[in-house]
Amino acid sequence: MNRLFVWILVSAVFFSSCNTQVKKQDSPLRRVITLENTPVSRPYSPAVEVGNMLYVSGQIALDPATGKLIEGGFEEQARQTLSNLKTVIEKAGYKLEDVVRCTVLLTDINNYAPMNRIYMEYFPSDPPARMAFAVRDLPMGALIEIDAIAAKK
Amino acid sequence: MKRIICTSNAPAAAGPYSQAVEAGGILFVSGQVALDPATGKLIEGDIREQTEQVLRNIGAILEAAGYTYRDVVKSTVFLSNIQDFKTMNEVYSKFYPSEQPARVALAVKDLPLGALVEIEAIAIKSK
Repeated sequence: MNRLFVWILVSAVFFSSCNTQVKKQDSPLRRVITLENTPVSRPYSPAVEVGNMLYVSGQIALDPATGKLIEGGFEEQARQTLSNLKTVIEKAGYKLEDVVRCTVLLTDINNYAPMNRIYMEYFPSDPPARMAFAVRDLPMGALIEIDAIAAKK
Repeated sequence: MKRIICTSNAPAAAGPYSQAVEAGGILFVSGQVALDPATGKLIEGDIREQTEQVLRNIGAILEAAGYTYRDVVKSTVFLSNIQDFKTMNEVYSKFYPSEQPARVALAVKDLPLGALVEIEAIAIKSK
């Protein structure tokens, strides 16, 4: 009887400490990614990493130097948007190939074909899962916004 | 294994969805509009008041699930009117003062119940 009690006690201690360890491992690290030119007036981070997943904010065609929307038509905006996305992803230590999902927001669905053409320059093979649609308006009068979730290999 | 979150501190779902669902250490909070938890009706108020109510509703759901605003990693803000972007940001920054989540913001054609703003969130507990 005594031996049974000791065994229960020992296994209780063993399993509870084991559970604690598992919990600690389960709780991933959080890291906020910032850029030198991130406008402080915006209440969001360019990206947040938790564990080995990176959540990237919607990017629009802001000029990294001025923080203003670039001059130019849809194609220029699409390239700048994808370039900004790449910058944030690489600042976090990830690559475009690590992107698993994107959302593409357009203000005009007629820009779907040109967007795809430029998008393929950045995601030439095994492209991420994606969803795309036209919205009513985007912040700062942008024509395109793209967000991403990336996972480290 | 998924866990359904249900709390009376936030408005009951206005349709066939849960307030939030947790699975694999990730909490998916449904898009919230400015419903009054007591009446289940959209509050009277402008974009400032509606954004505050929406973020309070999100806070109540996070809390019911054992999370806080600091666990939110990504949020999407849907506006009925892009002109409300600046005011929404002002209110939003009060709820997320530092180390803010990643975010997407856009204006849509229409939101349910005539709301001016809807916000969804993904939260993950972290160290």
